[in-house]
Amino acid sequence: MGPEDRLLPLLLEFFELPADTPPENIRQQLLPAWDSLATVQLITDLERAFSVSFDIEEIVRLRSYQEIRDALSRQGVPFDNSPD
Amino acid sequence: MNVIRQWIGSFPEVQRNAVIQAVESASLAKIRRALRSLHELAPEQRGPVLAVEILSTFNLEPIFPVLELALNCLPSRAQVRLAPLDDIEGYISQSASARSQGLPHARIVVWRVEELLPEALYPFSNGFPEQLAARVDKVLARVEGVVNLHERNAHGVPLFLSTIPLPVNFGNPVSAAQHCRGLFGSISRVNQKIYEIATARDGIYVLDVASWAAFEGRAHEDALVDFLARQPLSAKGQLGFALFIARCLRPLITPRRKVLALDLDNTLWGGVVGEDGVAGLTLGHEFPGNVHLRLQRELIELRNRGVLLVLLSKNNEADARQGFDSLPDMLLKWDDFAIRKVDWNHKHENLREAARELSLGVDTFAFIDDSDYEREQMRQFIPEVLILNESPDPLHTLRSLWDTDAFDSLAVTEEDRRRHRDYTIRAARDVGAHQDDLETFLKSLEMDVTIEEIGPSNMERVVTMLGKTNQFNLTTRRHSRVQLQSILESPGSIALALRLRDKFGDQGIVAVLLAILSGDNGTLIVDSFLVSCRALGRGVEDALWAAMVDRARQQNARRLEAAYISTAKNGLVTDLYDRLGLRRMQQDGESTRYLLEPIVPVKFPSWISLKGQSYGS
Repeated sequence: MGPEDRLLPLLLEFFELPADTPPENIRQQLLPAWDSLATVQLITDLERAFSVSFDIEEIVRLRSYQEIRDALSRQGVPFDNSPD
Repeated sequence: MNVIRQWIGSFPEVQRNAVIQAVESASLAKIRRALRSLHELAPEQRGPVLAVEILSTFNLEPIFPVLELALNCLPSRAQVRLAPLDDIEGYISQSASARSQGLPHARIVVWRVEELLPEALYPFSNGFPEQLAARVDKVLARVEGVVNLHERNAHGVPLFLSTIPLPVNFGNPVSAAQHCRGLFGSISRVNQKIYEIATARDGIYVLDVASWAAFEGRAHEDALVDFLARQPLSAKGQLGFALFIARCLRPLITPRRKVLALDLDNTLWGGVVGEDGVAGLTLGHEFPGNVHLRLQRELIELRNRGVLLVLLSKNNEADARQGFDSLPDMLLKWDDFAIRKVDWNHKHENLREAARELSLGVDTFAFIDDSDYEREQMRQFIPEVLILNESPDPLHTLRSLWDTDAFDSLAVTEEDRRRHRDYTIRAARDVGAHQDDLETFLKSLEMDVTIEEIGPSNMERVVTMLGKTNQFNLTTRRHSRVQLQSILESPGSIALALRLRDKFGDQGIVAVLLAILSGDNGTLIVDSFLVSCRALGRGVEDALWAAMVDRARQQNARRLEAAYISTAKNGLVTDLYDRLGLRRMQQDGESTRYLLEPIVPVKFPSWISLKGQSYGS
């Protein structure tokens, strides 16, 4: 399973969201459960699942599905049209 | 991982898989899912309630579900409460009544150098060495103060003090080691103090986070999340930490295995004595004989701390004995085994036989055998037996002994250290009992007993007995220290322990009786009555009963109520109260209630002498 397939289910499961939640709705402003505690827990889960470690500048920006995806891409995690 | 698989062996497959997935992925979402799945089980499938308070100088809130999962897997219905961050003394000072919940079953204090002694991270900025040493002295006093505060406010609640792990993130480790007042020396002084407190005080235990962190290595820590949330553990570290805490608390609710049954050929030595002869066996200081030798050392240590050894070998006895007698490097002796079954019978049959002879349940046995066939047969015929090794390789077997938690205990008592000898003597006694008239035989044992009030000096042993005794146990109430303490404090209660001495030596405390005064009409209710299986058939129950009746009469109790609650294991005492002259009142399911009114004196057994006092007529 490629990273694209793994990131969305990971976030849906983490925030306990319905399976049909559109990715653009996965953002901190829209999810009351996404508090600072959840951010810490989510970072640990992401680092573990994708074998990456975020730098400080990235962490302050991890506020939505899209931003997480971008951060993972910058770390070299292949997404979307990549062949895996 | 193997340890947790054993813990959750009794869960249904759905829950087992959920837990294993959660542990393998270390993903918080999967951990929460596993927890939800465990909460769907019926209470009896989940184990006993275990309320645990954790007080910490760093932030454990982000790993709360991980802690909950680990403790639930013991298995237990764990209720974890986190105290407010870095407010150890403040939290302990609150009286139990001021808090919404009562006292916990265990309390844990976790601290680390970053908060407890931050000056040690920068010794040259903090008056190294004199001022820093003075600062360490203050920390030592603080540790002691926390313990005193706990004992005042939550007396009887087991307290687990963490040791201080070496920090991972700091500069100049070479210099830190060069002076006894430096960073490492300072931490070591604090840890030494913690070990000393646990040694000296009853009910205070060590949660050795320092040794755990050393085993885990740097990977347990994550500086980023520490800066972000004052939570220093990596995903892998979180789970390891939680499982480590769970393992340390486990002896509070799960009795350890009492017996290790093991094979001989290719286990205690390399080779098969019946085939290869003694000359063909491998045992000694060279590889691979040194692996078997090390295994023997482990077994002797287990024996010396109270685990009985049973030898199960398919061999001619003469061949097996020859190995013991003739191999020059043999450390284990023939007599180190409480029971030896060396014949050609099935091992599961021999194990059942050994369990009967020791008056112990098969679920108190662990088993080691190099043969896949023997292990599989044991698994199928007696699933209650814990099989420790999974392969014929002796090094693997040795590792399984190093890794297992089956023999974990928080304290090794005098009784534990004497257990092997006691059982050997008992086996000799059983032979004697067949030969003579029973009373003459009992008299010949020259038994004398002391009746003790239950209190701090014998509490550890009494709680252990309440937790472990199955056969001679009328109600099988597994009181924790906290529950026992509240019985002791209840007005008019009678809480007695019987210490036995015979011509073979001091046998320690072997019987316990708890009775509580009910509010109305001077009625005493027997809450618990139990006798250790080491002292069965010797009349100590009559002695303790007579002592209790005497106390009851002294305090003018009018009537005495008791109950027999039947379990799968206590058939031995079905008729005990009938024999002691109580009247059956009613039977309700598993429970039969009895009454004694008025409370007439009871004759003390003629073959036992009571030290210092006399009871009854």
